[in-house]
Amino acid sequence: MIATPNLINKVVSGITTWARVNSPWIIHFNSGSCNGCDIEILATLTPYYDIERFGIKLKGSPRHADVLICTGPVTRQARSRLLRIYEQMPEPKFVVAVGSCGISGGTFAGCYNIVGHIDEVLPVDAYIPGCPPRPEAIIDGVVKLLTHLKNGTRPEPIKPQLGEQA
Amino acid sequence: MNTEARLQRAKEILAPFAKETLTPEANRVDVVIDAADLTKATAAMKSANWGYLSAITGMDLGPDAGQLEALYHFCDAAAVTSLRVRLPREGQPEIDSVADQVPVASFYERELSEMLGVIVVGTPDPTHLFLPDDWPEGVFPNRRDFKIEDAAPVERDIPKVPDQGRMGNKFIVPIGPQHPALKEPGHFEFAVDGEIITGARMRLGYVHRGIEKATEQRNWIQNLYLLERICGICSHTHTSAYAQGAEKLAQVEVPMRALAIRELVAGLERIHSHLLWLGVAAHEAGFDTLFMYSWRDRETVMSLLEELTGNRVNYSISILGGVKQDVGLEQSKSVRKAMDYLEERIRYYLDVVTSDAMFLQRTRGIGTMSRDEAILYGALGPTARASGLERDVRVDAPYGAYSKYPVSLITDERGDLEAKFVVRLKELLVSCFTIRTIVDNLPAGELAVRFPRKVPAGETVSRVEAPRGEAFYFIKSEGGESPTRLKIRTPSLCNWTSVLNKAVGHQLADVPMMIAGMDPCFSCNDRMVTVRRKDDSQTMTWAQLRAYGIEKYKSR
Ligand code: SF4
Repeated sequence: MIATPNLINKVVSGITTWARVNSPWIIHFNSGSCNGCDIEILATLTPYYDIERFGIKLKGSPRHADVLICTGPVTRQARSRLLRIYEQMPEPKFVVAVGSCGISGGTFAGCYNIVGHIDEVLPVDAYIPGCPPRPEAIIDGVVKLLTHLKNGTRPEPIKPQLGEQA
Repeated sequence: MNTEARLQRAKEILAPFAKETLTPEANRVDVVIDAADLTKATAAMKSANWGYLSAITGMDLGPDAGQLEALYHFCDAAAVTSLRVRLPREGQPEIDSVADQVPVASFYERELSEMLGVIVVGTPDPTHLFLPDDWPEGVFPNRRDFKIEDAAPVERDIPKVPDQGRMGNKFIVPIGPQHPALKEPGHFEFAVDGEIITGARMRLGYVHRGIEKATEQRNWIQNLYLLERICGICSHTHTSAYAQGAEKLAQVEVPMRALAIRELVAGLERIHSHLLWLGVAAHEAGFDTLFMYSWRDRETVMSLLEELTGNRVNYSISILGGVKQDVGLEQSKSVRKAMDYLEERIRYYLDVVTSDAMFLQRTRGIGTMSRDEAILYGALGPTARASGLERDVRVDAPYGAYSKYPVSLITDERGDLEAKFVVRLKELLVSCFTIRTIVDNLPAGELAVRFPRKVPAGETVSRVEAPRGEAFYFIKSEGGESPTRLKIRTPSLCNWTSVLNKAVGHQLADVPMMIAGMDPCFSCNDRMVTVRRKDDSQTMTWAQLRAYGIEKYKSR
């Protein structure tokens, strides 16, 4: 069989998707959270929940990361940092918002130092609600995201329905 | 010396400056002094060795009263003495800095000036600590008439740090803020001369949400859930401190069973927090096996917390007037079983951190802080106790059920990083013991009593020992459905002073461990570090810095 450019492209993109789905590297940024979500994210990495079995690895540099996991509402001081980290990530990139306060401002809604929730600052691909969500929920959210990546599509984010906010 | 004697002594020390002396509660005196006398009064307290400066509360009495108040709270065991300074609200309220006598006051003063608009004359670093750089001039969130619309971002030159001669012509190594030190993502600048650190400063506020102000807009009950979310690691500490203060103001007598359950949960929280810290600190030293081990064992506590309270992280066990859930026979059984397992594991970790030669290279003799230094820098919690400073609110001023189920005080004289590991782990053994005592002797009775919707007017101080040290709450009510002022001082703020000062003279490679040693809740995530060298700059991630530290010690 002679390799046509088309075939090469197909094979290469097949390999890329395979690699991306099997070893998504994540970076985590706390833009104003209470830590609750952050420790639960960290807990998913440790032996009990062991998220690494999905090939997921927590990385420090945004330049190595495929998925940005954000927690907390976005504070004024953290906003530019969050954007900068997002910009530094290579394409294609995905954003996961973890925790009620990252999704809606939660208990911190209306505080003076908050610019808003995460999707007011960045395009969010997946929401994981809970205050904080259980590690299982975080894993579930990330795996759902991966399933979409396998099909080569961006998930249609379904934003959890929010009640009236005070 | 008992509390009365201490208070009496404080009154005598402050007599030359006192305009008015009040006794709002049995364990407190309130001394009104002139702003001009503040430094002298502080010096008098300090030279008499009366306690330590625990917090500064800034209060706005409102446009009608036309006054601001700054309260300097000194704590000595259960006794609390507050120096109350009244300042004019209009014009330029000025107060002298006490930071040259009490270094930790530098942080409190930065907070006082940015939040309330008091000009602190002579404070070493007048830049923002919490508020964003684009915050408009002359808008102060803790003023009564603050409106969120006034705080719209403005373009502003970021004020330069006054050169104290120590930043001088050296390299500055900024660390952060993408360094989700879980609780307090901060930004640090270390000035280095070659390998050696010659100066350090920090900037917080990346997770500053404005909770103190928000409490004034929520009612007493809503605040419980807001304050729980100050920190997901010591959430119970904050609800306990707040509930305890509110209950004192409302004169609500909480049943003993509820207090015992609160102490039980506090013990479990301490275990989860210290094990979390042990893992993270081990990770900073490159000892990832210990990290994974301790986090695996931490899941035992997490499951237990879930079984008792229904939640893994923000447990919401306390309500105003008591607790929400009971601890039954089934749960007691689980608690005992978990304690058996954990005690064995903790003993093992204690053995590891005191005998593993590689690990000891990173901890023994590093960052040694003497008892006197710990006093000077106002260290709290295990950071202080590892330097032989006996400071533990649970012992000094037993609150809640701590007089019925006392804990023993653990100290270590050595003051280095190893001592910090030893103290924390031994504390866990004490916690396990207390937890067992509580489940074995849980008093019968109600879980909660009714709490009024409105809380009578008054002011109170509530102190609770968090896993990281004393958490200080000052609560003022004017008889309404929400507090008028709620001031929170968390322990890490005090401990930063000691780390920043102790870092000077150490190698850059030791910084990750020294910071981890005070337990600022570091996550194992990465942080950005940029090393600037005049115009040539180089970027280093926290991971590289950490790896650099590990390599450096390997090659020795
Ligand atoms: S969602 Fe809840 S637990 Fe998570 S960061 Fe926000 S307040 Fe904390």
